[in-house]
Amino acid sequence: MKGEKLRNLSFFLSPMIIMVGLFYLIPLVFTVYISFTKMRNWNIERYLTEIVGFYNYQRLFHMFQHDPLMRTVLLTTIIFVGITLIINVFGGLLLALGTFFINESSASAIRLLWLLPRMSPIAVYSLVWYYFFHGSNIGTLNSILMKLGVLSQPVPWGQIVPWGAWGIIIFVNGLVGVSFGMIVFTSALNQIPKELVIAARVDGASAWQISRKILVPMMKWHLLYVLTWQFLSLLTTYPHLFLLVQWDLVSRDYGTTLALYVYNTAFGRGEQDQGLAAAAAVLLSIIGIIGGLVTLKVLQFEKMIHEPRGDIE
Amino acid sequence: MRDVETRPKKGEWIIVFTILFASLPLILGFALLVISSFSKDMVTNLSLSSFRPTIENWINVFQGKLAITGGIRQNILKITLNTLVVALGVSGIVTLISTLAGYSLSRMKFRGRKLMMLLLLMLHAFPGVALIVGVYLLYRLTFPQEPSFVRLYSFFYVILARAALEIPMSVWLMKGFFDTIPWELEWSGIIDGASRIKVWRQIMLPLIKPGILAVALFGFLAGWQDLIYVRTFLIDQTLATFIEANIEAEYSHMPLIAAAGTLYLLPTIIFFLTAQQLLLQSYSGGIKG
Repeated sequence: MKGEKLRNLSFFLSPMIIMVGLFYLIPLVFTVYISFTKMRNWNIERYLTEIVGFYNYQRLFHMFQHDPLMRTVLLTTIIFVGITLIINVFGGLLLALGTFFINESSASAIRLLWLLPRMSPIAVYSLVWYYFFHGSNIGTLNSILMKLGVLSQPVPWGQIVPWGAWGIIIFVNGLVGVSFGMIVFTSALNQIPKELVIAARVDGASAWQISRKILVPMMKWHLLYVLTWQFLSLLTTYPHLFLLVQWDLVSRDYGTTLALYVYNTAFGRGEQDQGLAAAAAVLLSIIGIIGGLVTLKVLQFEKMIHEPRGDIE
Repeated sequence: MRDVETRPKKGEWIIVFTILFASLPLILGFALLVISSFSKDMVTNLSLSSFRPTIENWINVFQGKLAITGGIRQNILKITLNTLVVALGVSGIVTLISTLAGYSLSRMKFRGRKLMMLLLLMLHAFPGVALIVGVYLLYRLTFPQEPSFVRLYSFFYVILARAALEIPMSVWLMKGFFDTIPWELEWSGIIDGASRIKVWRQIMLPLIKPGILAVALFGFLAGWQDLIYVRTFLIDQTLATFIEANIEAEYSHMPLIAAAGTLYLLPTIIFFLTAQQLLLQSYSGGIKG
């Protein structure tokens, strides 16, 4: 019996374990290792065995202290994560509440529309905003404002530092993140007993009062969940930013967060410095691991894991 | 069935109108892209004079003519096929692995089960950028010596590596689907002496079809839209890297890129229309963004 169970378990679980080992554990060890080497330009033959100790970390901290470019990256990261997080959580909440109070068919159409940024390929999505915010008069935003008479000249939005560039990266990523909050909050709202809402309605409460006094207080757990989860995601997300910066839509300096900095330092144009990138990646992972642990503890995810049913040993 | 009976109808229009107004940039942006793909010039400045209808862009896309002059050609059908191969590969691997692992996490008792599930959640929250340097080193270290295998290998590797990113979430999703099936169904099978593997294949898999479909769809879309992994690992071009490279290229004819972008958007739209209920339901399982 014991042998059979082991055989079954390995049949079901080994593919997953192999994948996790190959593409999470080994790369993690490799990244930590590279952060202790002099690796650059992916010259593996030459640098793979050249250990330099904590040199890359010292360099990184020196840059944090003295390099104005690195300080810009850090500032951009903080502003980007902070403001986008607020937009994601509150935008998602507003959309979920808004669609809660309208008829089902309009609601699902709106939900689908707001899923579009998340579902459409990053390259297409970025292409859309490339034209929308384009700095010349072919840009949609420029042409609208010029037609309305607000502007007389096209404005290169992404090159206005810092807030023009920050505005665009926050806007573009904010739209992607909003749908996450929207869906989590919508499913939370659907679990709230309808009697509560109907009773309040009968007593003459408005949609605003129902939201504030009944619905939002009942979604505390979900608010916390979206907040922490989106924080971790935003800290490490970079594909959308990558194209906006690559296409020069936004200023390179004020459009680069720490995650994008890691990618560009390791794989970008010009001289690549994987040792430094790996050191920065290790820092990001430490933040990610701490953040993940805090999330698990605060939200008591362990309670989500029920004992399995249907095992008859 | 929410608060339909007692809700005043009047306020509804205000909410719908407000949300639609907020969605305007989104609607406008995507609409202009699609319209431009059918026009001789890009329609981005909202003036009707720049819209001169034509289907030339689409013909050129399928013929791979990149510029109107100069005769620069690229085989877009092959690029689309590459994208499709990556997407189907990711989808297949993710579905297979999560159907296997999801079953045992939902139904079997073993030591370390709880820990394994928590670790999966942690992995999902783990920064992808922290891995990619290491994933690339593994790629280079396992690179085949034989030059003729290199292209094939890069496909193989990018599919596996991209699928790995999706696995934590889809295993959780799949476990959730298995949890909803009453266990009496398989219990009777086990009592009759069938093995777990046989029960999984013959009783559970047919019941879990909607779940399999959902996970397969998500896997497909993840592979279909990926930019960073295909850009880093794949030697051949996909639609994502094609668009990435051609935005800056001076020879490219932009309405043609709009047509390629619309082509790239099509599966998303199709899934939207055919599987919207499924998408909305399963997305609440937990996603990253």
